[in-house]
Amino acid sequence: MPYLSRIRINPLRAESRTLLAGPRALHAAVQGGIPGLPAEERTLWRLDADNPHRPHLFVLTTDKPDWTHLVEQAGWPDADGEHYAVRDYTPLLQQLATGRNFAFRLTANPVQNTSRPDKPTPRQQQRIEAGERRSFRLGHRTAAAQLNWFLTRTDRWGFDIPTAPHLDDTHDTDGEPPRDVRITTRQRRAFGKGSLSTKEAQVVMNAVTFEGRLRITDPALLTERLLNGIGPSKAYGCGLLTLAPLPERA
Amino acid sequence: MTASGRTSVLLLRLAAPLQSWGDRSTFNRRETRPEPTKSGVVGLLAAAAGRSRHAALDDLAGLALGIRIDQPGSLLRDYHTVSDHRGQPLLSAAVSARGLQKPTSPAKHTHITQRFYLQDAVFLAAVEGPAELITTLEHAVRHPAFPLALGRRSCVPAQPLLLGQRTGPLQDALRAEPWQASPSVRKRWGRQNGNATRIDLPATLDDPAGDDIRDDVPLSFAPTRRTYTTRRTSHTYLSAPTGLTPDPTRPPSTGGHDPFALLGW
Repeated sequence: MPYLSRIRINPLRAESRTLLAGPRALHAAVQGGIPGLPAEERTLWRLDADNPHRPHLFVLTTDKPDWTHLVEQAGWPDADGEHYAVRDYTPLLQQLATGRNFAFRLTANPVQNTSRPDKPTPRQQQRIEAGERRSFRLGHRTAAAQLNWFLTRTDRWGFDIPTAPHLDDTHDTDGEPPRDVRITTRQRRAFGKGSLSTKEAQVVMNAVTFEGRLRITDPALLTERLLNGIGPSKAYGCGLLTLAPLPERA
Repeated sequence: MTASGRTSVLLLRLAAPLQSWGDRSTFNRRETRPEPTKSGVVGLLAAAAGRSRHAALDDLAGLALGIRIDQPGSLLRDYHTVSDHRGQPLLSAAVSARGLQKPTSPAKHTHITQRFYLQDAVFLAAVEGPAELITTLEHAVRHPAFPLALGRRSCVPAQPLLLGQRTGPLQDALRAEPWQASPSVRKRWGRQNGNATRIDLPATLDDPAGDDIRDDVPLSFAPTRRTYTTRRTSHTYLSAPTGLTPDPTRPPSTGGHDPFALLGW
């Protein structure tokens, strides 16, 4: 039974600085709140800093988590109000039906796999010459490519993006009406993994936040994506798709 | 607070095109704190009450101060050059036998100074103290003896400066007072936040058990011996009414996207 949690983070505390600065540290902190064995369940999380003074951490877990340690280290332990909220996710899953519209938000790492990169790095060249069959994972770096990555995959995830009603009179570069989705943040993050100083131990990812409206085409597929995440870098805050009621347009 | 125990709170709205609240600046670089200093607020009250620079300040410096940041404003750097209009070299700090300042040698003709200001900021300052003293000060701010300024003489306050007297603890007075930001700022915030009824504003309060130390409690404003001492403060967020009418069609949200709204509560 999945659970969605929301934890408020106090950005003024020393521990929070570590957590907000590094996806690795936040991943470890999130895993620390889950009693099960790490390999046995898929944990998805996302940091929402709409208000940078009040960041919120959303976590989707299979088992019921406990976030006391995060509140003690990076929250307001003695303050009023709700330190964290944990709610059963099934009411949402039951609401999914073909044709329904929701507001969504997704932070993902758009990548493509190719065995023949345009400009291979020396290391990639070395591997190609060595005859390794495995292709290379390359990140999409421009906003256009990242948006295209998202829009071409939505069918596989069980939903599609309707055209934006408030942009009726406009069209994009292909002459088509624009879809109701936008990129709100794009962040390239690079950090070391483990104590090794080799290039292998360096993680480079592009965290892109998509926001907009979706229409469900296949509830089963969407449920699968909601629970298991979208795209790579799921340990580092990517892949959690959340749904919300549609805002009324003024 | 005092023997009589009856305290009162005076609310001041510190808003102006420019404000500047320095607490350690000397020489050519005059900085500003991001929020009003206690010496600045005490100085404003002392000016209103018509106290001379040599007058005692114990009663004013002993008042408890709380500052709420309603609109943080932005930093302005003012680049100045200072020189003598007659083309003579500037004076040095050294003094001649006759007690006059000597000219700089080698001759220096131009000082470069930088003054920093907060532009377009709005603060709510609450001063808590004995009821009689607060009533006197309220009358004084309404009928100031000297011109009032926000931190520096050139920074003239915008109206209304005085919001009046409140009873009850300082923190409650700061919580109850509506958000003082300018109409355009409130409107923009309202559009983004569905005209929510309350907003969390950062505040700094005098607190003997606080973590922060500020060196801005004036002991004397006398020009020849200005001295300051320290106070302890704590930083917090206070929820204040925005004065906006919530939009019934838009759910009160956490920045537009609230996944919990679909989970049955």
